[in-house]
Formats: sequence, C-alpha cells, structure tokens
Amino acid sequence: MKKCVLAVLACTLPCVAAAAPESYTIDPYHTYPYFEVDHLGVSNMRGMFRKTTGKFTIDRAAKTGSVELVVETASIDTGDNEKGNRPRSRDEHLRAADFFNVAEFPQMTFRSTAVKFSGDNPVEVAGNLTLLGVTRPLTLKVERWVCKDNPMNKRPMCGGNASGTLKRSDFGMKYGIPAIGDEVKLYFEIEGYRD
Amino acid sequence: MEGFLGHPAVQAVLAPFAAGLAVAFALAAVRLAGLAVAAGLAAAVALIGGFAFPPVSAQQKVLLLALAAPALGVLADLAFKPARAAGPVLGAIFGLAAVWVAWNFLRQKELAMAVAAGAGLAALAGWTTAAFFALRGEPVRAGAAALAFGFGVGASALLSAAASYGQYGMALGAGAGAFLLAQLAFGRPIAAGATLTLGAGVAGGLLLVGTVLGAQLPWYAALALSLVPLAVRLPLPRAGLWAQTLLAGLYGGIVAALACLLSWPGVQERLGL
Repeated sequence: MKKCVLAVLACTLPCVAAAAPESYTIDPYHTYPYFEVDHLGVSNMRGMFRKTTGKFTIDRAAKTGSVELVVETASIDTGDNEKGNRPRSRDEHLRAADFFNVAEFPQMTFRSTAVKFSGDNPVEVAGNLTLLGVTRPLTLKVERWVCKDNPMNKRPMCGGNASGTLKRSDFGMKYGIPAIGDEVKLYFEIEGYRD
Repeated sequence: MEGFLGHPAVQAVLAPFAAGLAVAFALAAVRLAGLAVAAGLAAAVALIGGFAFPPVSAQQKVLLLALAAPALGVLADLAFKPARAAGPVLGAIFGLAAVWVAWNFLRQKELAMAVAAGAGLAALAGWTTAAFFALRGEPVRAGAAALAFGFGVGASALLSAAASYGQYGMALGAGAGAFLLAQLAFGRPIAAGATLTLGAGVAGGLLLVGTVLGAQLPWYAALALSLVPLAVRLPLPRAGLWAQTLLAGLYGGIVAALACLLSWPGVQERLGL
C-alpha cells in the first residue's frame, strides 16, 4: 500500500510542477507601449514610450496569469525631439503639465486583475491603469501570444502583442480636446524571459 | 469598537457631538468655541470616508487657490479692514499654499533639495502675494501690474511648453486689461482693493510655481517676472489717468518682456544659462 501511494505521488509531482505559475521579467529592449491619437481630425499621430519595466506570470494549467508594467512617462517619443527654431519640441510639450506631467507623475502603471484564456494562451487582460495619479480600469485584448525558447540564447521566453483603448480625459488629461483626440489607442509589444 | 464606529448614527451624530463638545470646552477661553462645528464635520469625514482624497494635481491645486484668493479679497474689502500685518501674513499663507501645490514634486526629491526648492517656491508665491496686496490702494498701478504680470506669466509659460498655464496667465492679463479700460472709461480710479490684488498676485504667483515645476520655466525668469509689482512703483505723472496707466503699463511691460526673453531657449543658450 505504501509503495502504491509513493508511486502515485511520484507520478503526480511532475504534473504539480508543470502547473505552477511561471514568472517572467520583461525584456526592456523588446517591450514598448505605443499610442495613437487623432490630430486635428486629419491624421492619427503615433508615439511610444522608450522605457518600460515589469513582470508577468502565467499558469497555463490553471489558466491564470498576471502582469505588471511600469512605464517611464518621460521616455515619450513621437519623433519630434528637436525644437529647431521653435521654443519647444512636441515631446517637450507632451512631457509638461498639459499632458503627461512627468515631473509630478513620472510613471504610468498597468496592473492586471484578471486574465482570460482561450486554450493555453491568454486572450484578454483586465486591469487597472494608473496615469497622472488616477487609476481606471483598462482591458487589453491579446492579439498574439507565444512561449518558446529564444532561438539565439536558448532562454525560455514568452511574448506577444496586446491593445486597448482609453479616454485620456478620464485620467484628467484634458488639454487640447477635441482638436487632439480624447480617445487613445494603446498597443503593447511585450517580451519577457523566465526567471 | 469598529462596529460601533461604523454605525451611521455614531458617525453622523454621536462622534461629531463628542468632538464638538471637546473643542468647545477646550477653546472657549480663546474665543474659538465656534470651531466645534468644524470639529463635528471633521469627525464625520474621518469616520465616513476618511481624509484620503483622490490625488489632486499641481495644476488643479493652483486653480483652486487662484479662484479662492479673490473670494478672500472680496471678504477683506467688504467685511474687514486689513491690518498692517495683513500683507506679510497673506504672503506667508499663500507661500505655504505653494508648498502644498508643489508637494507631489517635492516628495520625490532628497530632503535637502526638497527643503531648498520648497522654500524658494514659497518665497516666490509669498512675495507676489504680498507685493500685489501692497498695491491694493493704487488702482492704476495695481491694474497695470496685473496686466503685465498676467501676460508675462502667460507668454513665458507658453515658451516653457506649458500651454494651459500660458492661457491661464493670459486670462489674468486680459481681466486686468478690462479693469484698466473700465477705469479709463469712468475717467477716474476705481477700487482695486484686495479683490484685484489677491486675485492677480496669488493666481499669477502660483501659475509661475506650477510652470517652474511642471514645465521648463527657469527659476531666474520666474524671479524676473516677480519684479513686475515693484516696477510699477516707479514715478508716475500726477495728473492724467491715461498717461499714468500707459506709463505704469510700460514699466511693468518692460520687466515682463525681459522675463519672457529669459524664458526663450535661444536666449538662454546665448547667455550660457
């Protein structure tokens, strides 16, 4: 009987281990949030944040996961960093109090509250976005998710793309509405290595 | 105990009454027993929702204070005769208010830096408040100072990448321009009082604080702008309201224009600032 129990335990242990959540640390060189906002009703202006850190966990067996991203808002880049003959560049204006107010609120964070799975992969991440000190719910749709070993360094990694939409006025960023759109589309490119 | 304090009747009546009673007995001797009402309300706030309000940004604080200051000015003009110490006291109060405005910035800095920056910003807002308040009995100088200061703050904020602060500053200048024009239309000085001077001095000073913190206005440009209420004290002709207004506006305008030049990045680079 004792041998039987040990045999069952021996068989179960690998399954338990496989079901444990795996933790990943964001690769800052392959994780960037991008945004898109209407400009004067003429074009969609795009920009990105160059510095993002964070972690995520995934448990494919239990179909649970979590993600926490910290974005340095001063790293905003819309391709207009040189002021030339103008007093200030657009990125300088975006860093000032009218928009991201980076001196007062240097970070934007996203913390998940629930992750939906379809099969083995996450398809939707619900969470809270904190911007300008204001926290509001935000749901990200995961458009692509892959876990595999990096073909170069052979380290296990996961990553993909996700997107969501927010109204910047919900966070108190009201300057320039409606000439500069209220609705902002967010696109995330995320990769992380297993800890 | 938690259940007891969570009872709506305790929160709404019993605890506020106890707090009010304590304050009334404690402060009756110094004629402040009336604070019992505020103590009752404070007790209810503490028990019902707490004092942890959602974060207020520096700009929201500036606007709250900028709108409260003229209301205080109306009270001072219509209900009280300001004492001799009123200017410095108001300066100290709004100087402390500047520290409140800057709090989110200051708490991210090291202590020594935070103390130095907080003191500098408090001095700036305190000075503009007191300097403008001192002009309350001189409507031409007060109006001209508010005009130059408002447009100066507005233009320098725009040059520092803070468009909304810039627009608010210009709005101050536009309001002051309307006051001056009304004065010229009447053909005689009209009362500026604490209503105008607190409105301009506090709002303009705190807009400067906000622009230094939240945008790229250099401290020396803010300092130069704070000299506007001093500049309008230069001699004016004894007669002729138009001449007085134009000359006072010119005094303030020259200082404001110099400050705006200092806010221009190209000038800063040339001067090696």
